[in-house]
Amino acid sequence: MAAPRRRSLWSCCGHGWSWATRCCRVPGLCSSRTWGPLGAWPLSQQKRAAETHFGFETVPEEEKGGKVYQVFENVAKKYDVMNDMMSLGIHRVWKDLLIWKMHPLPGTQLLDVAGGTGDIAFRFLNYVQAQHQRKQKRQLRAQQNLSWEEIAKKYQKEEDPLGGSLVMVCDINREMLKVGKQKAMDQGYRAGLSWVLGDAEELPFDDDKFDVYTIAFGIRNVTHIDQALQEAHRVLKPGGQFLCLEFSQVDNPFVSRFYDLYSFQVIPVLGEVIAGDWKSYQYLVESIRKFPNQEEFKEMIEDAGFQKVTYESLTKGIVAIHSGFKF
Amino acid sequence: MATLLLRALHPLRRLRRGHRPAAAVSLRVCSHGARLLYPDHIPTSPLQKVLLAAGSAGMALYNPYRHDMVAVLGETTGCHTLKALRDQMKRDPEGAQILQERPRISRSTLDLSKLQSLPEGSLGREYLRFLDVNRVSPDTRAPTRFVDDEELAYVIQRYREVHDMLHTLLGMPTNMLGEVVVKWFEAVQTGLPMCILGALFGPIRLRAQSLQVLVSELIPWAVQNGHRAPCVLNLYYERRWEQPLAALREELGITPPPKHIWGLA
Repeated sequence: MAAPRRRSLWSCCGHGWSWATRCCRVPGLCSSRTWGPLGAWPLSQQKRAAETHFGFETVPEEEKGGKVYQVFENVAKKYDVMNDMMSLGIHRVWKDLLIWKMHPLPGTQLLDVAGGTGDIAFRFLNYVQAQHQRKQKRQLRAQQNLSWEEIAKKYQKEEDPLGGSLVMVCDINREMLKVGKQKAMDQGYRAGLSWVLGDAEELPFDDDKFDVYTIAFGIRNVTHIDQALQEAHRVLKPGGQFLCLEFSQVDNPFVSRFYDLYSFQVIPVLGEVIAGDWKSYQYLVESIRKFPNQEEFKEMIEDAGFQKVTYESLTKGIVAIHSGFKF
Repeated sequence: MATLLLRALHPLRRLRRGHRPAAAVSLRVCSHGARLLYPDHIPTSPLQKVLLAAGSAGMALYNPYRHDMVAVLGETTGCHTLKALRDQMKRDPEGAQILQERPRISRSTLDLSKLQSLPEGSLGREYLRFLDVNRVSPDTRAPTRFVDDEELAYVIQRYREVHDMLHTLLGMPTNMLGEVVVKWFEAVQTGLPMCILGALFGPIRLRAQSLQVLVSELIPWAVQNGHRAPCVLNLYYERRWEQPLAALREELGITPPPKHIWGLA
């Protein structure tokens, strides 16, 4: 009869209804993993795995690259001015220390990733040129009994002032490369310098190509840091060095408080007043907090296959230089 | 019964496609933990407001083309004055209507063809001429970001959009001299600290000849008119496009400028 059939249908629908409402709560609205039969949990796992952080915001992974691109497109023109203002010029010392740690000899092939405006590349060129000049002077001093014709010939020979050193600046952002190229022209750097548009997660180079790989203040903006580290391992020659200069965790709680205050209160204001862009600098200070600390990053570098991984904290841990070798 | 079940599964299907409710986007919590009160809102701490006010004041003086700095100065220093302005708008019938309906002046809300067709001498026609002659657009106004009250954010946005109207009413060009005169008028009318600072420090960048004209004739004229006219924020300009400009000036008690200043500054 109709009534019993309706009752049985209703009980069936009743169960169906509660199942439907439970499943409705899953994607994106409920963050707990405790419940979840009937295939609803794997769905939410998938959704969570496809998200990452953009500063303190959570965004889908596919979007992060585009958002970071926009940030650097906006800040490119004022990038150097803002660096000086925000770090009170200390960023120059940090970058100098990175090059001194590298001790490049003339003939080194350097790949500078995320090197947009060329700070590391120019310092590298200055260093190898100075080294090469010193080597030449030493050679001349050692050969005191040369005739003046031979000495004149030595000076006339069109020798490469860099001794065969080359630096390839690779950046994903066109605007940053534009600024870097303009700076190179203004400051007179021509020889030994190349500019390449490329993604740190997928470098447009062959295996075993470079002696040194550097990435200064760039790796925290990469969506998949492990992929960038693997690419670094791939393009380095055996015996090559990996160097990373990046913001890290402050070890001193007293300094940490002032650093946090300065980061969150002053830096976005500076960004607004000088560059007219609050949000990009808010992203910058938030992305620093999201980056792993010195030990964790060291482990990530070791996972990519590097050996003899060490780090050195500078300015009480505000930045750290991580170094590893490919054997 | 089966259809009931199917209807129950509809939301599940929609959610599976990754549909995110609009409310979740607007209530995004920023790093300070405060909620965003309006789309462009950036919550700031008192220290940040002080630093912003000082920085924007300095930058605006250093580079007068940074209009966004003048805007930021207005937002960070005007909290008390904006409250007084809002209360005063509520007391006036036309002002209360503006607060209720929240009209905006931008290229998308203005019917430019209709304004073009209005007779010469009407407010709409003169406003359009002002925009063309000075090559400005109502869309270049930066949105409010640092005001922590949604209604006050509208009040300051309205003030900014009405600024061009004041240029038209007072007959002042958009060069440095004209802007300083309008700032004096606004300082008397609104009492906003940004207007007062602009009125006092703006003349620093003027030539001696303009400065002399400013101090001797234009400032007294602007101050007098500012005191005499009722609050200009209470005028529903969108309903007064057809009104002849001369009649509107008479209604507000604004006299013609003392000297033809279009050649100066």
